[in-house]
Amino acid sequence: MWGKNPEPKTNTPAAKAPEPVAAVPPKPPVAAAPVPPPAPAPVAAIPAPVAAAPAYNAPVTQMSADASRIGPGLKVHGVISGESDLIVEGETNGKIYLSGARVTVAKSGRVQADIEGLEINIEGTVQGNLKASDRIRLGAASNVQGSLITPRFAIEDGARLRGKVEMSRPGETASNAANQNKVAESKPVAKAAEVKPTESKPAVDSKPATTVPAATPVPADANLRAAAARPQGN
Amino acid sequence: MAMDWMNKAKSAVKTADAIPTRSGPSFGSSSAPPPTASNVRISNGLKEFLWLISDKKGGRLLDLGPAFQTTIMFFIEKGFKLSTEDMLRSWKEFLTEEEESFRKASVGSEAVRVSQASLAEKFLKTSVVYPESSFDGILAWDLFDYLDTELLTRVMDRLYNLLAPGGSVLSIFHSKTPERYHRYKIVDGQNIELVPAPAIAVHQRIFQNREILDIFGKFRSSKTFVGRDQVREGLFLK
Repeated sequence: MWGKNPEPKTNTPAAKAPEPVAAVPPKPPVAAAPVPPPAPAPVAAIPAPVAAAPAYNAPVTQMSADASRIGPGLKVHGVISGESDLIVEGETNGKIYLSGARVTVAKSGRVQADIEGLEINIEGTVQGNLKASDRIRLGAASNVQGSLITPRFAIEDGARLRGKVEMSRPGETASNAANQNKVAESKPVAKAAEVKPTESKPAVDSKPATTVPAATPVPADANLRAAAARPQGN
Repeated sequence: MAMDWMNKAKSAVKTADAIPTRSGPSFGSSSAPPPTASNVRISNGLKEFLWLISDKKGGRLLDLGPAFQTTIMFFIEKGFKLSTEDMLRSWKEFLTEEEESFRKASVGSEAVRVSQASLAEKFLKTSVVYPESSFDGILAWDLFDYLDTELLTRVMDRLYNLLAPGGSVLSIFHSKTPERYHRYKIVDGQNIELVPAPAIAVHQRIFQNREILDIFGKFRSSKTFVGRDQVREGLFLK
């Protein structure tokens, strides 16, 4: 598949971002966290708050050094949009529109929001629909309630998924996301995104029912209700 | 005190951690351990299920088992839209939550009698909730053997309503009590892999053939495949 097995790594983004993003107000949307100029020895300088106990596995693609972070203990309500990569270790309600960026929900992350992004990497809990223009990955400990639309998709054994999976063409959702971004920015979200795993449209097949083929190999048990006894419609 | 449902729930649900141990991250199917001959079985039921849904390109399927990459991709690549919902695991978690809230509520107050029927109805208010005729096929796997009678009858009604006319259900029944609990993963069009997993629920009963026909009484036709491993695969057509 598309993802190689990344080696478990230390949280490089965490290490390079000495300070977690402060409590982000619902408006304006979270922008790229200001990154201090790189220290001579950035990794060894100051251990990140979560580096000792990595809260998430290595993301599919390395997060950029200036990734924004919603740290543990933080709660954000509202619309998050922009171009920066985002790591959610706290709680988020509302919408996350980062059409050109990577979104990671760490193990401790709790998100009640639709998420749109280039890549979405889930290790925690998400209630909301996920749309990625490149790929979605559900880690082994993830718990997702909502539909997934993505061109590429990986789910590890043990992941919980309650919802629909649809494949799109690469980049397809990016344009949609851009459009919705504008809408979202003009119309702030008042409440948490509703989870709708039930949004599948009725697909009533008007064709007559298919009969069970007589030509297929019939195994030992002939415990059949005689299908022929009833009208089959074919 | 009225703890009747609690005892049943306890017997029906094991307290063992439900999440199976994993060997590591598995991106796609390539890094997962390859299925061996011992844990792969030929599935005539699956073969015929695929035949039945083959004319429904772009159709919608509901998988009531755990979300496995290979199973999801198998159907996606065939052009289906797949919804997944691990019903047995949801039921286990629901019972655990109910038990917890019951414990809290009963402190200093009279215990409330909760019947199996009311539990089943409460569970189905939030689980397997989709519009009518949403799906062309439902993969129930190893489910019905593990549900108590009250829930079973309601689940059957629900699944029947979710199926579009001509839709089909693939299910598995045991002819003897299984030695251990398995999850099912599609390997290809006629093989399924049995993945050993910690028991989520206790095997409730062994259905006789007549009983299977009865619980699927609303369905138009049915077909059963019996394997040498005492596993019966049932295919039911609406």
